[in-house]
Amino acid sequence: MTDPHPHHLPLHAGVGPTGWITAVAALVAAVAYVLASTRLRHRGDTWPACRDTSFVGGCGAVAVLGPLPGGSFTAHMAHHLVLAMVAPVLVVCARPLTLVLRALPPGRARRTLLSVAHSKAATVLTFPPLVTLFDIGGLWLLYRTGLFATTHHQPLVHAAVHFHVLAAGLLFTFTVCQLDPVRHRWSLAWRGSALVAAGAAHAVLAKALYATPPPHTTFTPADVQTGAQLMYYGGDAVEVALAVVIAIQWYTATGRARARAQRREPASLINSTTPVP
Amino acid sequence: MTDPVGSTAPRPQVEPGRSLAACAVIGAALAAAIDEIVFHQVLGWHHFLDRSTPAVGLLSDGLLHTAELLGLVAGFVRYADLRRRHAVAGAHARAGLFLGAGAFQLFDGVIDHKLLRVHEIRYGVDLLPYDLAWNAAALALLATGATLTARARAERAHT
Repeated sequence: MTDPHPHHLPLHAGVGPTGWITAVAALVAAVAYVLASTRLRHRGDTWPACRDTSFVGGCGAVAVLGPLPGGSFTAHMAHHLVLAMVAPVLVVCARPLTLVLRALPPGRARRTLLSVAHSKAATVLTFPPLVTLFDIGGLWLLYRTGLFATTHHQPLVHAAVHFHVLAAGLLFTFTVCQLDPVRHRWSLAWRGSALVAAGAAHAVLAKALYATPPPHTTFTPADVQTGAQLMYYGGDAVEVALAVVIAIQWYTATGRARARAQRREPASLINSTTPVP
Repeated sequence: MTDPVGSTAPRPQVEPGRSLAACAVIGAALAAAIDEIVFHQVLGWHHFLDRSTPAVGLLSDGLLHTAELLGLVAGFVRYADLRRRHAVAGAHARAGLFLGAGAFQLFDGVIDHKLLRVHEIRYGVDLLPYDLAWNAAALALLATGATLTARARAERAHT
């Protein structure tokens, strides 16, 4: 691929090893997931095949994008959109923690993982406002300070940003969806508000980028505007996907709670609205 | 999931208030979606960003935009919940759609376009007829919604 804007440094000039490490790690995770789910099915457990597809798709996207060179701002934005938003949704919806806990034989490894999932630290680390700050704050730092320009010629900074984008995206999606077993279940109100706040900040940042490109960069205005619009509408699509995950959870949980109430008091409660879990 | 509504089960109770509210949220989100698709994308009248927009306008625009997206999902799931309980009041639901759409249109026309100056309806033209048509459409939607609500209420009072 030829760089359409040769007047600035290729974005991923120094990404070499980081990109490849990410790619290999993603592929290893995908293989491990498929091995674990196969083991479960051999044992007679049910584990929907769509989860395998989702996880492998998410890891595949990270693996393909990791070592790919980016040139324009639009290409960079497409890259980040997949890395920080699309791939995490695919990975988190596959419930990797649940799978690992079920596939591991009882023993030290399983006990350790369970104690980590049930630790105070995990509760704090999945506190919705904190996770939102971690994700969106990083994004604002990247695009509104000189950090983005620095990543062009500092391979280590670039690697750190790369890692932060993926990790923060995974943590945010994990927290908002809350599909895997952690001890503290944050309520729908906390998670929904985090989604609204993150969505709004993402939209505002996209419009701010449309008006003013990241400091000390030399992308063409047309390129930056296309990239900013991609960020805006791409973010919309992923936010809707996250909202659908939460909505399905609410629908299922209310249905179950109502069925329970009905079994207890079959005559009176058929229309009661149960509180949101 | 289906509720076992057999002959022994009590007759499901219709919930007019919740039907109206769920559909009002859907109506507002649909009006926002039409605004985005028709005026931003198809006609290209609205601009993605008006450079004279103040910061507070940008912020409220971002919040409202996200709320619309999530509202669409939330409205539909609330409606689906009412449906599985056989609690949808059809007339109230239709009234809610119009009320929601009208409220969004009026908010967009007065607060977004005029007070916060997020963007204009169209650029390089005399705005007055556009603004009048925009807000008249909003009032027409609201009036339709109000009429339908009144009629739905009267009908319920009758039965």
